[in-house]
Amino acid sequence: MNRTVLLARKEAGELMLSLRGLTWLLAVAVALSVFGLLLVSNTELSLLDNAQVVYDMASIVTALGALLALVIGIDTVAGERERGSLVPLLLTPVSRDSILFGKLGGVAIAWIVIYALSLPYLWAVGSTGQNLIEGMVITAVLGSPVVLGFGFLGVALGCWHSSTRGALLTGLVALILSASPLLLGPSLRQSAVGRLFDALNPFSAAVNAYDAVMIDSQPYGLQNSHFLVAVIWLILTVWLARSGFRRVSRTGAAI
Amino acid sequence: MNLRALILATGLTFMASAVTAGPLAINLSASANNPVMPQMGDRLSYHTVIRNDGTGSIDGLIVWISLVEVDPGKEQPVDLEDWSAHKAVVARALAAGDKLETDWPIRLIQAGTYRVVISAATRSGTALATSPFADFTVRRKPVVESVRVLPVALGVPIMLLLALLGVWRKSYKSTI
Repeated sequence: MNRTVLLARKEAGELMLSLRGLTWLLAVAVALSVFGLLLVSNTELSLLDNAQVVYDMASIVTALGALLALVIGIDTVAGERERGSLVPLLLTPVSRDSILFGKLGGVAIAWIVIYALSLPYLWAVGSTGQNLIEGMVITAVLGSPVVLGFGFLGVALGCWHSSTRGALLTGLVALILSASPLLLGPSLRQSAVGRLFDALNPFSAAVNAYDAVMIDSQPYGLQNSHFLVAVIWLILTVWLARSGFRRVSRTGAAI
Repeated sequence: MNLRALILATGLTFMASAVTAGPLAINLSASANNPVMPQMGDRLSYHTVIRNDGTGSIDGLIVWISLVEVDPGKEQPVDLEDWSAHKAVVARALAAGDKLETDWPIRLIQAGTYRVVISAATRSGTALATSPFADFTVRRKPVVESVRVLPVALGVPIMLLLALLGVWRKSYKSTI
């Protein structure tokens, strides 16, 4: 079997079958459950709010997915370095790119698991409303590059920082900044700075596409500009992770 | 007595179906296809006939639909953005004796009791012409149903918790 695939399976197996990974998944599931239960207790929801609910759930799934991907990405390099398992891996006769893409594959499998975990929740809150399937599709299409990008950014941060804590802090600040459209009102985002931030921010690209497809019932074809931003983000983070990982020395030291 | 009441009621109904303000008369009627007990998500349609009963042509006619919620404590005009894509019609001129017929489709978004009214203004007229009210009640339809959410919200974490306990037990046994 291909070494990259083997490594990706190992990384994913650590998520699916380890206490640490399962605890992370449980935390994601609990967060989604709490949101779902909050919605059930709201008796003032209108029919239009149903699309809003699916949009909110998809946005939360993307935010949680990005958070978990970031943590996994950081852990896969900085965590392994601290546990002392990175150096033996780097000393094996496997190319840096194979190791890196194996680790990136592990992040991708983690996102697939989180997305699969979110589908029952999306169905539970949205099956009586509009655009549920479209919502699931756009979350997969636009959410994936954004979430994976944060995972790959985590890998890059794990290479650059000497400690997991430092990498985690930097990554969380970047994620909170990027996910701020979920907290900011539309009026703030309509200013010149807000529009510029929206145009460049991959998280904004994803949630704006969700809004357009789920609430405004726009076709997928009109989301090309959002998709382009998300893909550019993905390419940029792969490049960052690759350049960072190449510079990790065989002693396991950071750049 | 009953006959007199019937005649009076019939007369009131007739009066309520057409209001005249100036030369414009607006007749409002509900579509026969409207559900008897509509609920959220259903669609209603109303039909108006706007007739120029005057002797001269009317220029610059604007006709629009308005909706108000009249539930006690919730009295408010409704923003029609989500309810209807067909909010107004305009006519450059309406000759004497001519009529303008329009359908007004509405998608029912929120539960409650509502009154719909059609209004008309002209370029040079001094008074607003309005139709009589048409009332309807929208039944609540559960948007997020607990029967679907609860099994998922409780079931998924419980399954993951069981998996977690299984892995923990396995690793605990292997360390002994």
